[in-house]
Amino acid sequence: MNTNADTQDFKARAADYGQRYGILIALVLVCAALALANEFFLTQRNIINVLRQASINGILAIGMTFVILTRGIDLSVGSVVALAGVVSASLATTSATAGVAGAPYAFYIALSLGILVGMVAGWVNGVLVAYFNVPSFVTTLGMLSAARGLTLLYTGGRPVPSLTDEYRYIGTGDLFGIPMPIVLFAAVFVVALVVLTSTRFGRHVYAAGGNPHAARVSGINVKRVRMAVYIISGALAGLAGMILAARTGSALPQAGIAYELDAIAAVVIGGTSLSGGVGRVTGTLIGALLISVVNNGLDLMGVESYYQQVIKGMLIVAAVMLDQARHKHA
Amino acid sequence: MSDRTTDATAQAAPKQGLNLLHLLLEGRAFFALIAIIAIFSFLSPNYLTASNALTMTSQVAIFGLLAIGMLLVILSGGIDLSVGSTLALCGVFAGWLMQGVELQSLGVILYLPVWAVVVCALAMGAFVGAVNGILVAFLKVPAFVATLGTLYMARGAALLMTNGLTFNRLSGDPSLGNTGFEWLGFNRLWGVPISIFVLAATALAAHLLLTRAPFGRWLYSTGGNARAAELSGVPVRSVQVWVYVLSGICAAIAGLVLSSQLTSAGPTAGTTYELTAIAAVVVGGASLMGGRGTIRGTLLGAFVIVYLGAGLVIIGVSSYWQTVFTGAVIVLAVMLNSIQYGGKGFKL
Repeated sequence: MNTNADTQDFKARAADYGQRYGILIALVLVCAALALANEFFLTQRNIINVLRQASINGILAIGMTFVILTRGIDLSVGSVVALAGVVSASLATTSATAGVAGAPYAFYIALSLGILVGMVAGWVNGVLVAYFNVPSFVTTLGMLSAARGLTLLYTGGRPVPSLTDEYRYIGTGDLFGIPMPIVLFAAVFVVALVVLTSTRFGRHVYAAGGNPHAARVSGINVKRVRMAVYIISGALAGLAGMILAARTGSALPQAGIAYELDAIAAVVIGGTSLSGGVGRVTGTLIGALLISVVNNGLDLMGVESYYQQVIKGMLIVAAVMLDQARHKHA
Repeated sequence: MSDRTTDATAQAAPKQGLNLLHLLLEGRAFFALIAIIAIFSFLSPNYLTASNALTMTSQVAIFGLLAIGMLLVILSGGIDLSVGSTLALCGVFAGWLMQGVELQSLGVILYLPVWAVVVCALAMGAFVGAVNGILVAFLKVPAFVATLGTLYMARGAALLMTNGLTFNRLSGDPSLGNTGFEWLGFNRLWGVPISIFVLAATALAAHLLLTRAPFGRWLYSTGGNARAAELSGVPVRSVQVWVYVLSGICAAIAGLVLSSQLTSAGPTAGTTYELTAIAAVVVGGASLMGGRGTIRGTLLGAFVIVYLGAGLVIIGVSSYWQTVFTGAVIVLAVMLNSIQYGGKGFKL
């Protein structure tokens, strides 16, 4: 790294710190306002509820952070949620018609297969983006359509019901009194934080996104890094899909529609730049919590779900506009 | 950069620069269409009947209209993911106006004549497009994020407007003087559905706009190299806003045709239509980097997609496969285009 890159890095980091605390303050303010407006908001049950709702989107958003850090985007996560959900559920169902031959299998087989399905979808995205130079939004838009179609084909459009209790544990069980989705979300967050901040791969992700040419010249295999981030995003989408299926007790082929939007919103609100190379997984965590708190607040105030869709669309556009404005300053 | 400018000029005036590459590229979509028609007429006797061809072509009208708008946006180097939602919003808006607007302060119910309903729906499409255009051109939001945002906003607005229900009284009432909404989707001129004429007229207008008007030259140069275009005095930002406005208007026309064909306007109409429109444009040989593509190619692309889809339905392939195959076709077509153009690849 030369000094110029160092100054740029410093500037980017300074802007990033501002954003990080800005978003934290926003979260605290929204929480305070909701606590004043509604006495139910700060109850233990509601807080657990907010965290549980944040966990699925949060897991997707962490995968999305990896992809966006390399200047990519993954629009297919919502469909991969459904595909991995139905495939793994079909191994863990006691229903005779919806399951594959020999079901129910042990929960760890079903769970591994779900992650594998997500990784395969991510691998296809990654190969097309990294090695065939197809723009990431086209590739993953294609995968959005293809994975949804495969989900419908696999299930015939019907849900996969009656999942075994062991399988449902990851959605409905708890560990030391904390619901499993929150535990898994926390675990994914910690691993992602360590990977991005303290491993060689993490530095390569930032380098490949910040300046792909420079990264290539310094001997980083940029193509492999780009492929890896889509596999990570796919695997996490698989995990999220199984948690969702386990929570509801059946895997729906329509699950996860529009989840990509929430995940992108969480990443962008969390201060990760769509131009790549700048961002933190901690920001994504706060972004996911903020979205969940806002949704919860709208629910508590009885706002129609159609309005929530409109508000969400505005939220993401506003977050990206902030991102652009920040870039002008940096 | 210079070769790209040459190519853009070649497309603006095809007679001058009939290079082999371009011919081959246009030929690919054309030969695919011939092959599709040949194979499916062999597999099913019902495929190539006059009535089925007309039915399929009136379906092409919907996607063709969306694809023409999409082509303009893609030529500028952008993308418009909101066309499906805009289609639904404009259809629902037209349906809402047809039901009569109750003006509570005046205590009357206002029934607009059909032409006014059409104008209002087109204005709604233009408005959604203008929002996209301003976000992209002036606020510098990446096109796919801005239009993904409006995708959800327009869908939400359509759902709110109908409370999730469908308007199905679109035929109007002779005593109120607002009949004739079905004309667009149902009537035929010389045995051909009106919607096909609408597509032909829109395509011709867009073709003339691209090849004969200054706007077309500006658009190709904006997409080819925005910086160079700006320095040469092309009003790049207003070109960018206008392509989204035109795309919104095309989506509104498609929405009117669709709700007229169905004689009902539902808020969930047009879901994932943006995928089909993008597929038609890229199958038609347009480059997603901008600056390359023609109306002819896009129309061919729309025919290829719809005729293939309809053929699969006729021989009894599950419609779920179509979702899979639309995704695959988009990615495949983009890869083939990038090979044909010999580019070093894309950047987001």
